[in-house]
Amino acid sequence: MSTAETQERRTPGLVPVAETMRTAERRPSSESGQSEPAGPPVRLASAFWRLLGSELGLTFRRPRNQVMLAVVACVPVLIGIALRIASADEAVGGLIGSVAGNSLMLTFASFSFLVLLLMPIAVSVVGGDSIAGEAGAGTLRYLLAAPAGRTRLLVVKYLNAVVFAYATTVVVALSALVTGLVLFPVGPVTLLSGSTISVAEGLLRILVTVGYVGAGMAALAAVAVALSTFTEVSIGAIAATMILVIVTQVLRAIPQLEAITPYLLPSWWTKFDAVLRSPVDFGSLGQGLLVFGAYILLFGSIAWARFSGKDITS
Amino acid sequence: MRRGTFVRWGVPIAAAAVIAGAMGAGPVIAAVSGDPVLPERTAQQLLADAAAATKDKAGPPPMSGTVQQTASLGLPALPDMGGASPLSLLSGSHEVKVWYGAGDKLRVAMPTQFDESNLIVNGDQIWYWDSGDNTATKIKMAKGAEKPHALPTPGPADVTPQQVAAKLLANADEHTAIRVTNNAQVAGRAAYQLVLAPKDEGSLVQEVRLALDGETYMPLQVQVFAKGSAEPAFQVGFTQVTFTPPAEENFSFTPPAGAKVKEETIGAGGDAEHAEQQAESAKEARKDTKVVGAGWTRVAVLPATLADLTAKPAETPSDGKPGSHWKGGSEGADPSALVQNVLKTATPVSGTWGSGKLIKTKLVTALLTDDGRLLVGAVTPEEITKAAGTK
Amino acid sequence: MTVVTHEAGAPFGAAPPSGDSAIVTQGLTKRFPGGQVAVDALDLTVPRGSVFGFLGPNGSGKTTTIRMLLGLVAPTAGEYSVLGLPLADALPRVGALVEGPAFYPYLSGEANLYRFDAADPTAPGGTAKKRVAEALERVGLSAAAGKRFRNYSLGMRQRLAIAAALLGPRELLILDEPTNGLDPQGTREVRALVKEIAADGTTVFVSSHLLTEVEQMCTHAAIMRAGNLVAQGTIASLNGGLTTRVRVETPDVADAARVLGTLGLADVRMPDGGAAAVTADLGAHAPEDINAALVREGVAVRGLAVVRPSLEDVFVGLTGEGFDVDG
Ligand SMILES: Nc1ncnc2c1ncn2[C@@H]1O[C@H](COP(=O)(O)OP(=O)(O)OP(=O)(O)O)[C@@H](O)[C@H]1O
Ligand SMILES: [Mg+2]
Repeated sequence: MSTAETQERRTPGLVPVAETMRTAERRPSSESGQSEPAGPPVRLASAFWRLLGSELGLTFRRPRNQVMLAVVACVPVLIGIALRIASADEAVGGLIGSVAGNSLMLTFASFSFLVLLLMPIAVSVVGGDSIAGEAGAGTLRYLLAAPAGRTRLLVVKYLNAVVFAYATTVVVALSALVTGLVLFPVGPVTLLSGSTISVAEGLLRILVTVGYVGAGMAALAAVAVALSTFTEVSIGAIAATMILVIVTQVLRAIPQLEAITPYLLPSWWTKFDAVLRSPVDFGSLGQGLLVFGAYILLFGSIAWARFSGKDITS
Repeated sequence: MRRGTFVRWGVPIAAAAVIAGAMGAGPVIAAVSGDPVLPERTAQQLLADAAAATKDKAGPPPMSGTVQQTASLGLPALPDMGGASPLSLLSGSHEVKVWYGAGDKLRVAMPTQFDESNLIVNGDQIWYWDSGDNTATKIKMAKGAEKPHALPTPGPADVTPQQVAAKLLANADEHTAIRVTNNAQVAGRAAYQLVLAPKDEGSLVQEVRLALDGETYMPLQVQVFAKGSAEPAFQVGFTQVTFTPPAEENFSFTPPAGAKVKEETIGAGGDAEHAEQQAESAKEARKDTKVVGAGWTRVAVLPATLADLTAKPAETPSDGKPGSHWKGGSEGADPSALVQNVLKTATPVSGTWGSGKLIKTKLVTALLTDDGRLLVGAVTPEEITKAAGTK
Repeated sequence: MTVVTHEAGAPFGAAPPSGDSAIVTQGLTKRFPGGQVAVDALDLTVPRGSVFGFLGPNGSGKTTTIRMLLGLVAPTAGEYSVLGLPLADALPRVGALVEGPAFYPYLSGEANLYRFDAADPTAPGGTAKKRVAEALERVGLSAAAGKRFRNYSLGMRQRLAIAAALLGPRELLILDEPTNGLDPQGTREVRALVKEIAADGTTVFVSSHLLTEVEQMCTHAAIMRAGNLVAQGTIASLNGGLTTRVRVETPDVADAARVLGTLGLADVRMPDGGAAAVTADLGAHAPEDINAALVREGVAVRGLAVVRPSLEDVFVGLTGEGFDVDG
């Protein structure tokens, strides 16, 4: 089909209305930056990032998500204060006990606690809401008619959840670092192996922990997004993801089921303790990242298979 | 359903297949590439080579690696026990990291979730570090006591393949059929496998496989197969190993600031830590122990009553609560709880020898007679009742 | 010319030849899981430049058809083409309002439009501000642009949905019941807007069950009944099936009927009850001639009207009088 042909055919219907000034302005020929409507559609490379930006804006400006980040940020502060009070009268051992002696350890102690439930909940909410929330509100049909493109929208939604997962992780780390620096002494960090590293090295290991824990949460986000494509009720997808997390945590605690624990996501979240060993157990971290990658691949492809063929009837 | 639906769902199915493939790839690659890479050896040649390789030098070559120990003895469910307890080794799978430098430098680390215990030996400096209770223990050898890495402790506390291998090689005699395969792969290394199969019908052991590194002849893995089971009932071996001298910093330990520092002397009694405790009681028990039979069907007979077994042994460490762990609830192992648990599965038996309770697992049969004897052996129930008849 | 339509990754619908039609469907069928056939072998042709009314009672399959055209629902069978392009290329030139407005309640009207503008891969971000402002202005929402959608009235919501459909240059507008919830003033504005848009050469496909609305704005119409297309064509051709009648209000019913008969008017009908009016097919006669003849014969004419057939008559004739929803 030629462009000229279409242009000629743009005769008004049977309702003769004189062209207003405004309609003349809308003529593509007089529009400088506008794409020619009848020409081949110009897909802009920047459009993907624009949609992702819009998605991130929606996620981080949403009060619910801000509250979740705030709650997650409060926990290290509470742990810090509790330990400060407790350490005064009684010596406690283990990771939690080491906090009293070193400010940086509060970050690891906070992660060891938050990674079990609270961070997964925050990530489940954003991931589970991703597709189901739009479907439930009806906005999904307008996004797809825009057309956002199903694969493109799914990728944007997942990346958005990943960014939120990392944001949660960074918020925990920063809150714990600041609280630790205020409440506890700064100095060389004692590792689980009994050896000591410098503060700079300790900060570097916190950075590695953030990278690893964030990846673990990103893997959970893949599960949440996949579940989100199966329902139009976002609370359903969120609850399903959280139940999955809780059930796997329970399974992990049953000694008879030890054989399956390496396949469960939560088993690998706590493996960030590899950075607290000497030498750093990169083998364990690498294996964890492989597991996270496998979860992302599997649940990402399930989400795609479901979403790309789904009838949008909401 | 439309064709498109099948095509789409093919993608996650393919992804699942790729993941399953990647998980199974290790063994598969090993099986493909693991065909005779090593020259053929007879059992004698192999044992001679191995003996030469270990005797010529002061010990095994410097190395580091991860040792995994798995036991599925068919015991009843054990209560959740502290990671560091020797009893916990009786079920499930455990991992320790080993660094071995030249001569008398050794570090063994047992990492558990958010905790780690270390045994560091550097010449006559021996440290035991437990992050759980933030305690560094300096261990001193009493005069005449053996070095800790050569402790004669029997049982599952022997975690390095060297120790287990040595013990098993000692049993290789006229009771055993021995063959050698040269295409095994352990921890990514080509290995010889020495297969020891008991000739005696009364043994519960199908065979014992000992993998020796093709280059250094260092034992890499020991597997014990019970009769009628394709999976090893007990296995200890390297999952990862490197034969390069580990960094020196692994063997230097200074108690960190803020840690409790204790000193203990081994070989002079006292409240030593678990493993040594076990060794002590094992030594004591050996005095009263009688052995019936020969080879693989040996049965140990020791005096014991039901009351003895279920009572809490007086010598259990009295320091009680372990360090406060995050996971909590991991109370120190209580052997009497284990015994009580095991006894629940016992079946009453009787015969010309008297009567008692029989406990059968995949690898071990135990008989507690009513006249106060405990018979234990890797033998069939028939064999153990026979042994019960020999007073 | 044959165009195969499919969105990347989602093989929705292959296209029949489109010619100079904005929308063509051939045997388009949707059977929902559970067996409900919402649309049954629909053959629809929407000419470019037309204002096309898509009529049908509740549950007749209008929205389902629109969802299929927008790639939201996969057809069970049949083919369709929108603007003669692959669907992914056609959709940026299609503005749509499907089954009422749906927006993010916690965002302002303006922010909502930015959101949907960002979803269009062909819309440059640099000119988004202009597009959004223009769209808001066209629906008269500029003043309420900063208000949260949650606080919009029903009519404002509807207007915002139309504004979203008007983001950027459109070749085709698909509007599913655009005047739902609007006050008479709003209804008139929408009608005027549709006419203005059509004057640009934009094809407008508007579903409705308000017959007068369709009659007033549309050049073409199609009528659905229980998933089947029962009629389609220009408004004139649809009305063509029925004839224009003349209606004479008079107390002298019998005399009037006689005069009309002698004038040669067909199908003269006397009133059934007490109504004092006679009707007849107008045919080629001029109404003023009829009036003159009646007066000449001394019939007291209280009123004389030419009754053109309404779409409602066509609609009711084709879909039945019954109020109950089919299927
Ligand atoms: N998701 C669905 N699952 C099953 N049946 C459906 C679904 N959506 C619509 N239907 C059925 O398809 C038929 C057509 O529905 P549709 O919404 O297309 O009608 P409509 O013409 O738009 O009606 P209205 O004028 O009331 O909006 C109805 O009988 C409806 O019950
Ligand atoms: Mg509808």
